[in-house]
Amino acid sequence: MRVDELQRRTARPPEPGAHTTIVAPGTTFHSVTAQITDIVLSRSVPDPWFWTFCVALIAVLMLLIGVTVLISTGIGIFGTNIPVAWAFPITNFVWWIGIGHAGTLISAILLLLNQPWRNSINRFAEAMTIFAVACAGLFPLLHLGRPWVAYWIFPYPNTMTVQPQFRSPLVWDVFAVSTYFTVSLLFWYLGMVPDFASIRDRSKTGIEHAIYGILALGWRGASRHWRWHRSASTLLAGLATPLVLSVHTVVSFDFTIAILPGWHSTIFPPYFVAGAIYSGFAMVLVLAIPVRRWYHLENLLTIRHLENCGKLMLATGLVLAYTYVIEPFTSWYSGDKFEMFVVHNRATGPYAWAFWSVMVLNVAFPQLLWFKRFRTDTRILFLLSIDVLVGMWLERYMIIVSALHRDWMPSSWANFVATGWDNAILYGSGGLFVLLFLLFLRFCPMISASEVRELLPFSRPGGGSVK
Amino acid sequence: MSARPEPYGVAAEFETPDDLVNAARAARERGYRRLEAYTPYPIRELDDVLPMTNYLPMVVLAAGAVGGFGAFYLQFGIAALVYPLNIGGRPLNSWPQWIPIIFELTVLFAACAAFFGMLFFAGFPAVYHPLFRIPSFRRVSDNGFFLCIEARDPRFDAVETPRFLRSLAATSVWEVDDE
Repeated sequence: MRVDELQRRTARPPEPGAHTTIVAPGTTFHSVTAQITDIVLSRSVPDPWFWTFCVALIAVLMLLIGVTVLISTGIGIFGTNIPVAWAFPITNFVWWIGIGHAGTLISAILLLLNQPWRNSINRFAEAMTIFAVACAGLFPLLHLGRPWVAYWIFPYPNTMTVQPQFRSPLVWDVFAVSTYFTVSLLFWYLGMVPDFASIRDRSKTGIEHAIYGILALGWRGASRHWRWHRSASTLLAGLATPLVLSVHTVVSFDFTIAILPGWHSTIFPPYFVAGAIYSGFAMVLVLAIPVRRWYHLENLLTIRHLENCGKLMLATGLVLAYTYVIEPFTSWYSGDKFEMFVVHNRATGPYAWAFWSVMVLNVAFPQLLWFKRFRTDTRILFLLSIDVLVGMWLERYMIIVSALHRDWMPSSWANFVATGWDNAILYGSGGLFVLLFLLFLRFCPMISASEVRELLPFSRPGGGSVK
Repeated sequence: MSARPEPYGVAAEFETPDDLVNAARAARERGYRRLEAYTPYPIRELDDVLPMTNYLPMVVLAAGAVGGFGAFYLQFGIAALVYPLNIGGRPLNSWPQWIPIIFELTVLFAACAAFFGMLFFAGFPAVYHPLFRIPSFRRVSDNGFFLCIEARDPRFDAVETPRFLRSLAATSVWEVDDE
């Protein structure tokens, strides 16, 4: 019998140098398919899924109420003021879009670098990207105050004979974020097509067969299909790699092109990209650690995946720590008294609590990741990831609020205090993200079955596995 | 009843990727050209056995060029011709400031070309295919390895081809009708 034969072969002791820790021994083609598709085809969900879904649904209702009040009243319900005109909405925007970046890094950059360990985490990291960018896109829209005229930012022939200002980074941002969302969505869907075919072929009811059959587009696993698929995936990965760096660079241009002290700095693009990937890996871990336990995926999402994410988090965190050092140095070295004031005010002014929290959360605690003992302990990793997510949100808050609240003229100085609506929409967007992610877990193949099959030791003629 | 429909081809199932690759190689050596292997994951060894010309990179390059030049023309046209604004005395065609959108639209057009080009070349969407009539063909997305020699192959023979496939360690062989 086929399965027994393969199982007998996998039960052989691993050969030296074989990639045995990516997928647990004893995994067969069929067990991978069954494990991944049964999650979608099963009628039941794990209990923690259900309760998290309920909480997320309540948060989404809160978001809907917040958005309704916002649209019917105006952005006066926020604590946003002049001079702190960006405050929560733009903090949230930059934070969410940064979280998406680790998904693209895992799916595109690690694909080009031929890192096979990414194969079982790329799918849900990509899903994380899509949902994070969707949450991010919400905030500039809501922050407009008149979201129903948001389309004015696009260049289109109109009777007002008014056109967008292409010298403005805010217009660049619209193009960057919408391109990023589109490319991520295409990449994500393209990767899922073969797995939709697996679900189609194992579906038990007509409706499932029809829905997943349409989503699978008629995938038959022909060698031609695989080659077009691989060619398109590689091309999309090659395009997504510079794209992901450009998106956060353009986001940082929103800041640097303003002449505000504390924003007008050439270090911002790498500073923002490093921070984005840092928070993104934290979110990957926050999602992966519970999911592998809920769905018993420890054989596919091994401790090695979590440890590698921890290492990448440590590396990007160190880049970020370096920019934390260079930024005040540049201010001091410039001799510009306004620049020096921003640095001093950040550490001792009304928002010093945010600055020092960032230093502790983003720089101090993550140093625990140097130790293998902490990198391989899922509870510590989970807590450190939450720590980084909070730290990165506070960092964006610090950059925006501490630079804006004290600008050139003391007569225009004002502090910012968040309102309940600010918080409701922030936490509501978190609920939306979790809700979308839970629906993805329920209805889409969360791990790429075809890519995991490639990792199995007997997947290549001659019995060798993918390098 | 109507006459027997035209054959689509002859399909065979193999137990392991090795058997499939060997069978595909043997069929090529026999002179068969219209044949296709169906596998649950990509097998790179089949690339040499079943050659294919890949036009996708050229299509993507062309689409990227259209996106990039289009983005330049869009911005130049609006900022310098249709809606000129004097911003701090900068030249109307301040091209370094067009670069971010040129880059983004290049990527957007190229990515859409990669995705839709792949659908076009692979013949998707096509939710029906004659091979889906084989009941065990649903294993192709799980652990089944199939080879199909199509009836349009000049060397195809309704008697000889199935016999040839049976001789190649196939576990089962089916004659598949078209429509």
